[in-house]
Amino acid sequence: MSDDDVRMSQIARALRAPVRLSASFDARVMAAVRRLPGHERLKLWARLTTPRTVTVMPLTWGLLAASVALFAVLGAMHFAVDVDRAAKPIASALFPAQTKPAPQRVQFVLVAPDAKKVAVVGDFNGWDAQHAGYQAQHRGGGVWSVTAPVPVGHHRYSFVVDDSVWVADPTAPRVVDNDYGVPNSAIVVPQE
Amino acid sequence: MEASSDAVVVSHVLRGDVEAFGTLVERYRDRYARYAFHMLGNREDAEEALQDAFTRAYRSLPQCEDPERFGAWLFRILVNRCRTVGARRGRRARTFVADETALLGAAEDHPAERTAWREEIDRALQQLRPDQREAFLLKYVEELGYDEMSQLTGVGVSALKMRVMRACERLRELLSEVHSV
Repeated sequence: MSDDDVRMSQIARALRAPVRLSASFDARVMAAVRRLPGHERLKLWARLTTPRTVTVMPLTWGLLAASVALFAVLGAMHFAVDVDRAAKPIASALFPAQTKPAPQRVQFVLVAPDAKKVAVVGDFNGWDAQHAGYQAQHRGGGVWSVTAPVPVGHHRYSFVVDDSVWVADPTAPRVVDNDYGVPNSAIVVPQE
Repeated sequence: MEASSDAVVVSHVLRGDVEAFGTLVERYRDRYARYAFHMLGNREDAEEALQDAFTRAYRSLPQCEDPERFGAWLFRILVNRCRTVGARRGRRARTFVADETALLGAAEDHPAERTAWREEIDRALQQLRPDQREAFLLKYVEELGYDEMSQLTGVGVSALKMRVMRACERLRELLSEVHSV
C-alpha cells in the first residue's frame, strides 16, 4: 500500500465515525410521516392518477364497443317498453276513462196540423221549450219533425205545441209516472 | 419488528402500519446521517436532507421495486436530496465551527487531538467541489465499488474515478498545509 493510500485510509477511517443526530430526529420524521396520507389511500390514488399505457386491439375493442352500444340501445328500448306497459294500468287505475259515448242523432216526428210551433223538451235539454236545437220544422201536411242529439241511455221527453200544450209522442211508450202532471214519453238511445 | 427484514417491515407499512416505518428510520438514520453530514458540512442541513429522504421514501414506498434492498434505495434518495440541499445552499457563506465537529462521536484515545484532526479533515472536505466530495465519500467512506457508484449517481465510471482522484489530490494539498498527514 502506498503512502497516499495509507493517508486516504486514515482520512476515511476518521470520517467513518458515527454522527449523532438530534434526540428528536426520529420523532420529527415520524410526525412528518404520520401527516402523510396512509398507504391504502396512496395506492388507490396512485391507481387513479398514474398514467398507464393501454394497448388497444382494433378488432377486439371494436367488437366490445359495438356490443356495449347494442346492449345500450336494446336496454333503452326494453326500458321504454316496460315503462309504457307498467304505466298504462297505473294510469287507468288512477285516472279511469271518463269519456262518454257520443250523443246519437234522433228524429222526433209529430203530426199536428193546427200547430204553429212545435218543440221537443226532455231531460236531455233541461225541458227547455225554447232550446234552439230542438225546434221542429213543418214538413208539410201537418207533419213536424226535428233531428237532434240525444245522449245514449234512457230519457223522458215530450212535445210542446205553441209553447203551451204538452203532447206525448204517440209513437213512443208513455211514461206512467210523470213528475209534472204532463204527459211524457220514454226513449232509449243505444250506443252505436 | 426490529429483527424483521426490510422487506417484511416494508410490507407492514404498505398494509397501513405507519408506525412500522419507525423501524426503518431507526435502522438507517445513523449510517446515512454520516454521509449527509459530510456532504453538507453541518447538522442542520444534514438532518433536513435526511428527514426529507425518509419522508420521500415513505411516500414513494409502493415504487420500491426491491423492498429487501430498501436501504440502498433510501441511500439513492438521500444522495439526490443532499445534491438539492447543497445546491440550494449554494454559495452561502459558511463557517465550519468546532461545535459541529464535536457532534462526531468516535471513540477517541486523545479527544482533544482527535477533535482538531477531525476538524481539519472536515474543513478540507468542505472545500472540495460537491461532485468530487460526493465521489470521495462514496468511494472511501461508504466503501462502494465504482459500478455501484455509477448506478447510484448516474455518472460514468471513468468520470467517477477522475473525481475521486482529484478529490484525493486536493485533500492532500489542503491537509498538508496544516498537518503532516
